[in-house]
Amino acid sequence: MFRTLITLGFLACTSLTWADTLTLGASVQLTGPVANTGRYYKDAYEFAVERINASGGITVGGVHHTLALKLLDNQSDVNLSVRQYVQLLSEDKVNLLLGPFASNFVLADSAISEKFQVPMVQGGGASDQIYSRGYRYIFGTLPPASNYFGTTIDTLLKLTPKPSRIALLYADDAFDVSVAQGARAQLSQAGFQTVIDERYTSNTSDFTSLLSRIKSSAVEVVLVAGHETEALNFIRQAKSLSVSPKLYAFTVGVPSADFRQALGNDANYAGGMTAWLPSKSLKDAWFGDAEQFARAYQAKYGYEPDYHAASGVATVEALVRAIEAANSLDPKKVRDALAQVNFPSLYGQISFGATGQISLPQTMIQVQNGKVVAIYGPGGFLGKLQYPMPAWGKR
Amino acid sequence: MLLAQVLLNGVLLGGLYALMAMGLALVWGVLNIVNLAHGAFIMLGAYVTYFLFTKAHLDPFLALPFTALVLFCLGYGLQRGLLNLVIRSPMFNTLLITFGLEVVLTFLAQTAFSADFRTINPDYAGANFELAGLTVPQVQLAAFVVATGLSIGLWAFLLRSRPGRSIRAVSQNLLAAQLQGIEPRRIYALTFGLGTALAGVAGGLYGTVSQINPYIGASLTAKSFVIAIIGGLDNPLGVIVGGIFLGTAELLTALYIGPTYTEVASFGILVLVLLVKPTGLLGRTT
Repeated sequence: MFRTLITLGFLACTSLTWADTLTLGASVQLTGPVANTGRYYKDAYEFAVERINASGGITVGGVHHTLALKLLDNQSDVNLSVRQYVQLLSEDKVNLLLGPFASNFVLADSAISEKFQVPMVQGGGASDQIYSRGYRYIFGTLPPASNYFGTTIDTLLKLTPKPSRIALLYADDAFDVSVAQGARAQLSQAGFQTVIDERYTSNTSDFTSLLSRIKSSAVEVVLVAGHETEALNFIRQAKSLSVSPKLYAFTVGVPSADFRQALGNDANYAGGMTAWLPSKSLKDAWFGDAEQFARAYQAKYGYEPDYHAASGVATVEALVRAIEAANSLDPKKVRDALAQVNFPSLYGQISFGATGQISLPQTMIQVQNGKVVAIYGPGGFLGKLQYPMPAWGKR
Repeated sequence: MLLAQVLLNGVLLGGLYALMAMGLALVWGVLNIVNLAHGAFIMLGAYVTYFLFTKAHLDPFLALPFTALVLFCLGYGLQRGLLNLVIRSPMFNTLLITFGLEVVLTFLAQTAFSADFRTINPDYAGANFELAGLTVPQVQLAAFVVATGLSIGLWAFLLRSRPGRSIRAVSQNLLAAQLQGIEPRRIYALTFGLGTALAGVAGGLYGTVSQINPYIGASLTAKSFVIAIIGGLDNPLGVIVGGIFLGTAELLTALYIGPTYTEVASFGILVLVLLVKPTGLLGRTT
C-alpha cells in the first residue's frame, strides 16, 4: 500500500513537471580539442533559454511552459556525441533537439534525429553534405559551406589590379572540403588561376612547406579553409618565414575575440568572413536587437559573441517559434512548422530552404588595428580593404 | 632553392621535436615507463612559460630555467608519491597510470586556464634573417640551439656526473647499483624530474612558435614516442638524430607528396625502423 502511494506520488510529480517544462537536449563540446568553440553554443543556448523564460516562457495548447536545457558534454568525440543524442531521446526523453558544433558532428548526429523523427535545429554545421541526404528532421542556421568564400571572391574581382595567382588550402574534414569545392568552382568561374590547391590534415601544426611553396610560386591571395588553431599557426609561421601575399583570408577564427587576443598585432590584415555582425538593424523579439544582444552577452560571459553564438541563439528561437506555430509538442508537427518559420531575429531573417538549411549572405571582414571591420557584403563595399598587406618587416 | 628552404625548416623543426622527445626517451630508457602524460607536461610547461611571460613580463627564453624548475619539482614529486608505487609492476600498469595522469592534467588545465588558444608572442617572435637566399626564422633557430645544447648537456651529465652515472647504473643493473649504495627510488625520482623538466622547456619553446591549449598534449606524446623509437633510447644524441630525421621527412613529404601524408610518413618510418633496426638509428645492436 505504502509502496503504491509512493509510486503514485512519484508519477504525479513527474507528470506535473512534464506538464510545464519543455526540455531541449543537446550534446556539445565542453571539453576536448573543440571545447574552445563548443562553449559558444553552451553559452548561447543557456542565454537564449534564460531570456525566453524571463519574458514568460512559451504557451502550448493553452498550457504555460518554461524551457529547460539538458546539455551533455561529448568531449569532442563524434562517437560519444551520437550515443548521447540517443540517450537524450530514449532515456532523458527531451522534447526537441539542439545541435552540436561542427559539421562532422552534425553529419553523424543528424542520423539520430532522423531515426527518432525528432527535429534537430543546429547552428554549428555548415557543410553541404549534411543536407544532401534528403533528411527531413535536420535544420541549420549556418549558410552553406560551399559559399563561404563567395563574397571574398567577389571582393577580389573588385580589386585593381585584380590579383591572379591564388592558393586554396583546406583541411580534410566535412566542412572544409565543402568550402573548398565551392570556392574552387567560383574561382575558376571568375577567371582566377589557382596555382596551389592543396588539402592538409586537420590539426596540422606545421605549414612551413606550404608557406615556402606559396612564397616561391609568387601567390598573391591565399584562401585557407581550416580551424582556428591552424589559422594561428599559419599566420605565425608566415611571419617567421617572411611570407606576405597581398591578402590571406580564413574561414574561421577571424571574427572571434580569442583569435585577435592570441595573435596581438599579427592578427591585423587577416581576412575572413561572418554571416553575422552585431548590427542595430537586426531586431529580435527577446533581445531587442543584435547590438544589445552582443553587449548583454559580453557582460554576461566576458567575451564578445561571434556568429557561432548568434547562430546558437537563433536555433533556440527557431524551435520556440515553430512550437508556437504548431501549438503542439509533437515532434512531427514541430518539424512541419519549422519548415515554414519565417521571422526576424538578432541573427537575421530565419527561414529554412527545402533541404532545411538557411540561406544568408556572408560578409567579408578584415582585422584592422585589432578590430573586425566589415569590408564587403552582398550590396557591395562596406569598408576599405587594406590591400595589399604590407610586408612583415614594414608593419 | 625551395628544397633547401624546406630542408632548413625541417632541421629546425627537428630540433624542437628532439627536445620534446628527450624527456620521454630518458624516462623510458631508465625507468621503463612509457610516459603517456609526457605531452601533458609539455603543455604545462607551455602554460608556465606563458604566464611567466604575460604576468611576470619575463622573456620566454629567460623564463625557461624557471619553467624547468617548476616542472622538475612536479615530476620529482609525482614519481616519489605516485609512480614509485607501481614501478615494479608490469608495464601495463604504468601505462594505465600515466594515461590517467594525462587525463587528469588535461582536465585540470582546462578548468584552470580555459580552452582559449594562447600564444607566447614576444616582439621578436616572427623575426628572421636572410642567409644565402634562405629565410632563417630566429626563434626556431634559438629553439634548435637550446634543444641541441640541452641534449649534449644531458649526454655529458649522464656520462660524467655522479648522479648521471647513478642513473645509468640503475638502468643497466639495478642490483649491482644497489650494492654500490645507490638508492633507486631517489634516482627514479631524479630521472623523472629531469624528464618532465625537459618536457617543460620543450613546451615553452613550442608555445613561442605555435599555439597553446589544454589539448595539445596527446599528439605531442605520439610524436615524441615516434622520435624516441627512431632515435633509440640509448643516448640523447640518438633523439636529436631521430628528431631531425622525422622533421625533414615530414616536411619533404608535405612538399612532394602532399600535406595529408605527413602522418603516414612518420608512422611508416616508425614501422620501418622497428622492422630494420629495432634499437633505433643510433641504438646499439645487441
